[in-house]
Amino acid sequence: MHMTTAGGAPSGHGDYPGTPRWVKVFAVATVALVVVVVVLVLVGGHGAGLHNPLGGGHGG
Amino acid sequence: MSPAVRKLALIVHLVLSMGWIGAVLAYIALDVAAVSTDHETMRMAWAGMALVGSWVIVPLAIGSLITGLMMSLGTPWGLFRHYWVLISLVLTIFATAVLLEHMSSVQAIADAMQAMGVSATQGSRGGDFMHSIGGLVVLLLVAVLNVYKPRGLTPYGWRRRLVSASKTAEG
Repeated sequence: MHMTTAGGAPSGHGDYPGTPRWVKVFAVATVALVVVVVVLVLVGGHGAGLHNPLGGGHGG
Repeated sequence: MSPAVRKLALIVHLVLSMGWIGAVLAYIALDVAAVSTDHETMRMAWAGMALVGSWVIVPLAIGSLITGLMMSLGTPWGLFRHYWVLISLVLTIFATAVLLEHMSSVQAIADAMQAMGVSATQGSRGGDFMHSIGGLVVLLLVAVLNVYKPRGLTPYGWRRRLVSASKTAEG
């Protein structure tokens, strides 16, 4: 988190203006990505540790 | 936090964060070697991935998370006031948690290859791209958020701003 000054925030009074559009877009994209990853994991296996002979990792 | 201390903390945080991304790129290079058909190359690549992961990426991730928390709590940005800070925090914690959980698997595969040979570790033939590429994407996303700092106060940040504004008006 690289932070310098607290500029760039809107100033104002009264009711909360609502969640910004970019946050909503980000949330939808994140949910879609999670669904894709879950499907990929279920269909294609999980990669490292999947068949680890020493028993470490996920043990899938 | 005084300006001098803030600047020092920012430099440390930037170095650790960018170092984390650089180390992940090195890990991806080893990951490419890990899908080689040559068994010795595979074994060495997984050993390298375990070393880079445990001794470079994990310390950088923890350091980056700690300095990020210091930067947010020690400046007017706060931790929960702005969406970009909050999302950066969540993504960084998520990436660090997955990393810490996953490194035991990488170490176990590297140890197994060392002890029993590559042919005994069939499950690692596809490399570790889901974690390495996924981690890189998350870190780049955090970097973009931190540079652009998109506007948007959380409900908590909005209430704090109103309280602060009313105090200023009264005082």
